[in-house]
Amino acid sequence: MDLFYFPHLAPERATTHVALFRNVTNAAALRKRIIGASTMSGEAGELEREEINYAFIEARLITSWLHLQTAVYQAILAETQNALRTKTVHSEVLWNLNPTNNITEAIRRYGISDTTTSLLVVRIDAGTIPANDMELKMKKVVNGEIVPFSQIKDITDWSTIKKYHKLVDELAIKNARGDAVKECVAVDNIVTSTVAMKSVMA
Amino acid sequence: MASTQGPTNVLIAKSTLISQGAEAAKNAHETPLLIKHRFSKGYRHKTLDTNLTKARVAGEARALIRCLRAGVNVPGIRMVDATEGVLGIEWIEGTSVRKLLPGGAEEEEALDEVTEDLSEDEIDPLKEFGVSVDQLMHLIGTEIAKMHLVDVIHGDLTTSNMMLRRSPNNESDLVLIDFGLSYLSALVEDKAVDLYVLERAFASTHPDSEPMFQSVLDAYQNRMGKEWAAIKRRLDDVRLRGRKRSMVG
Repeated sequence: MDLFYFPHLAPERATTHVALFRNVTNAAALRKRIIGASTMSGEAGELEREEINYAFIEARLITSWLHLQTAVYQAILAETQNALRTKTVHSEVLWNLNPTNNITEAIRRYGISDTTTSLLVVRIDAGTIPANDMELKMKKVVNGEIVPFSQIKDITDWSTIKKYHKLVDELAIKNARGDAVKECVAVDNIVTSTVAMKSVMA
Repeated sequence: MASTQGPTNVLIAKSTLISQGAEAAKNAHETPLLIKHRFSKGYRHKTLDTNLTKARVAGEARALIRCLRAGVNVPGIRMVDATEGVLGIEWIEGTSVRKLLPGGAEEEEALDEVTEDLSEDEIDPLKEFGVSVDQLMHLIGTEIAKMHLVDVIHGDLTTSNMMLRRSPNNESDLVLIDFGLSYLSALVEDKAVDLYVLERAFASTHPDSEPMFQSVLDAYQNRMGKEWAAIKRRLDDVRLRGRKRSMVG
């Protein structure tokens, strides 16, 4: 379990818990559950939605801690300015990660899918729930093992990221060809910058 | 929200001001961040002010991402709050080219210091970065050409708007900064004027800089390829008339 703490944000949004799950076995069921929860009505619906009130992110599409942090930060910023483009701060994280303006596409690509095995579970809130309890709550929802975020380096799927961001023919990537480390640094920087400027994209 | 102040304002309040033009400030977090704040101008109508500020932040961010994708060395974007006029960009650890070249040291540096430290002054500050003046000029020319090849016009090329950054592998690289006046254009005129502005900046801040600027142009020419001939011709025109096009008509 990892976390972001932004001391300058309003207390109710200052803490974000992040858990990286590997070997997730219930992706398909979880996806169905999320869709189901959105249409449930009454008190049962509220409870169900609270149970799964996280951003579920396809971990292979995340390049670095900074990349995720930028998406989370810009989502919180949009929320405090009443400028959310999607329904919740958590879905806004997914929207921020996708380079286009299509919300469905953002959720399909960056959200959980039936084939997901590595999943990032992100909860933006006041941080009043201790990390241990948060971990237990997350484990109730996701079947998999929590690993340190640093393992993302074994998970990132660079070629899909390059495809989604249309980077394959860009000079920055062509110049770095043959040098895998340099190429990853360049991709990470472009992808992170794209997320940061999402709100003012053309 | 408990307070009327937005999160970005709190962030700015916690930052250290490093220079005021458009107002840029360094933030003291674990990963340093450069915050460029276009504060609201009281003399402008509120609506106009917000729109202008938003458009400028967006414009600067778009120029940066275009450069990044083309492999031009520019700082990455880290956060954008267009409503507050704030652009958060990657902190570049290095020194501005202006300070590295003769004549470029800040005027504020007291006179007595100059007389005292004559011996120290002789140590070439470039040594630290492992590049010679000529190599530095080469880096500048190449970086500008890379930028012009994707039709980004910087608009304010000076030696203060370039930084030499130490790389982990001891290969320093040149980073272009401050895209506040940049715009997109494929016109030979705009590229020539961009170079002319830099030439004037060299001439006014660094004594005897003609050979230096010539090596910038040589490297630029190398990188530009066949576009160079037209730009060269136009640059000669611009030198005769200045950067403003003729006002006839």
